[in-house]
Amino acid sequence: MTDASRSMLEVRDVTCSFGGLRAVDGATLTVEEGSITALIGPNGAGKTTLFNVVTGFCPCQRGSVRLSGREIARWAPHRIARLGMVRTFQLTKALSAMPVIDNMLLAAADQPGERLVNVVLRPRAVRAREREAREQARELLAAFRLERHADEYAGTLSGGQRKLLELARALMARPRLLLLDEPLAGVNPSLGRELLRHMQRLRAEDGITFLFIEHDMEAVMNHSDRVVVMAEGRVILSGSPRAVAADERVIDAYLGGKHVPLEEIV
Amino acid sequence: MTSSFALALGGLTEVGFWSGVGVLAGIYTLLALGLQINVGFTGILNFGQAGFMAIGAYAMAILVIDFDVPFLLAVLGAIGVAVAFAMVVGMSSLRLRADYFSIATLAAAEAVRMFAQNAQGVTGGNQGLYGFDVAWADASRQIEEWLSAIGVGDANGLLPLLLVVWLVALLAIVALRFLQRSPWGRVLRAIREDEDAARSLGKNALRFRLQSLAIAATLGALSGVFLALNLSFVNPQAFEPQASFIGFAVLILGGLASYGGVAFGALITWTLLEATRFVDLPLSDTQIASLRFVLVGLLLIGLMAFRPQGVFGKRQEMVLGD
Repeated sequence: MTDASRSMLEVRDVTCSFGGLRAVDGATLTVEEGSITALIGPNGAGKTTLFNVVTGFCPCQRGSVRLSGREIARWAPHRIARLGMVRTFQLTKALSAMPVIDNMLLAAADQPGERLVNVVLRPRAVRAREREAREQARELLAAFRLERHADEYAGTLSGGQRKLLELARALMARPRLLLLDEPLAGVNPSLGRELLRHMQRLRAEDGITFLFIEHDMEAVMNHSDRVVVMAEGRVILSGSPRAVAADERVIDAYLGGKHVPLEEIV
Repeated sequence: MTSSFALALGGLTEVGFWSGVGVLAGIYTLLALGLQINVGFTGILNFGQAGFMAIGAYAMAILVIDFDVPFLLAVLGAIGVAVAFAMVVGMSSLRLRADYFSIATLAAAEAVRMFAQNAQGVTGGNQGLYGFDVAWADASRQIEEWLSAIGVGDANGLLPLLLVVWLVALLAIVALRFLQRSPWGRVLRAIREDEDAARSLGKNALRFRLQSLAIAATLGALSGVFLALNLSFVNPQAFEPQASFIGFAVLILGGLASYGGVAFGALITWTLLEATRFVDLPLSDTQIASLRFVLVGLLLIGLMAFRPQGVFGKRQEMVLGD
């Protein structure tokens, strides 16, 4: 990391509870600009809920969320997405009954044709943006080796391809920060490696920052430059993969008390 | 049985019968196009289309009778009132889950009908409202003159209404198809598929759902205006929840996510509903009236068994939808 002082996302003391259950209970973390940060923790630690809170899908009852310094806690999800923080979901949300290409075009930012007035009064501007977006979509689909499926319904893709589509689609929305919720879950190993390579490439080429939830420790240790560990709704630790893997608390909370030497994980 | 068949065929060859069916089918095409954009393309379950229909008919009639507003302006005003009502219903209940929203719309439509029944000073109560169609009667005569000049005419004078209602319905189909192909229409479909996915990509789902509901209200109000012209009076009985559900029968017959299918579904549904009038069975009038719905029900059951996507619906969209 060249510019470690600039933070892309700052979460401070965020709380989110459902009924009596505090799924996120005062979580605090920072994602540096240009980093690939992994969020790990045992099941039920509140990782996905934290994603939901920072992206506006769950109510934030307390605390602050800042994206590039701007307070966005309690904003609606679509406004947060437009500000450049785009997420994917643990259970992939490919829009199955829409063609792959429409999935992509849907996500294109700044399409004037999403306003009824412009559909009627500015058809040229709408068509021009549509052409541009289509070209970009084709390029992305090619990069993710999905171009053959462009005109097929997204529901016909395999689970792994849907994950790729969701990532490619998120990129259409011009994100600065991408939140990926278990991008490797249910993906076969070779597609998984491809996904991780894409992450590295997008960070290098487009300067996109990543925060991803993952249980695959090999991917976490080899592909992230910071690891944040959650347990019981709080962030209990964050640091370099090496430091985190060696920490007693992580071994207790996450690896179930069984000491695993670092060499075995990495 | 033979005699009833003969009777049925005799009725079915009359021009008057078909123009009557045609007018009703046109009216319900408009009504169900609104359902199509809500249910078929946005995924919001609107059970209150009859309410917008009632508002369209009543608001038009009241504006013409009590405020001397010219007919066409009154129609625009009626659409405005229906859209405003849709916004109130939508903003208070579109955030609810789909099934709760559908109950809210049903309740809202019933509230409209109850209001019409009881606010006698404004709506005439059960007596209804008359005398709002003077301008239409003039226009209708004018159209009939043109028609007879080219040698077309019918006994019951329904042809002008038939032409106008289908002209409006076809224009609506063309306009809706145009909107559906636009990026705006794509967002609607995305919301139908998965609202959270659309929101995560920067789409303000509530805004699109409200717009979809506003369009449905507009079409509902238009159908109400034509229903009023067809009956020459408006009264609350015309807007029972039944109207919404006939709309759903039309929708399902034609197929979800097809605007053209709506027109087809409306024609089939109303042919069936009206043709049963000619069935000569030893049954009372009310029994015959119920029989109409039994027939439509049987048709829908058959359809669900053999072609669940409707006649013009897309099978892939249905299978892949979940």
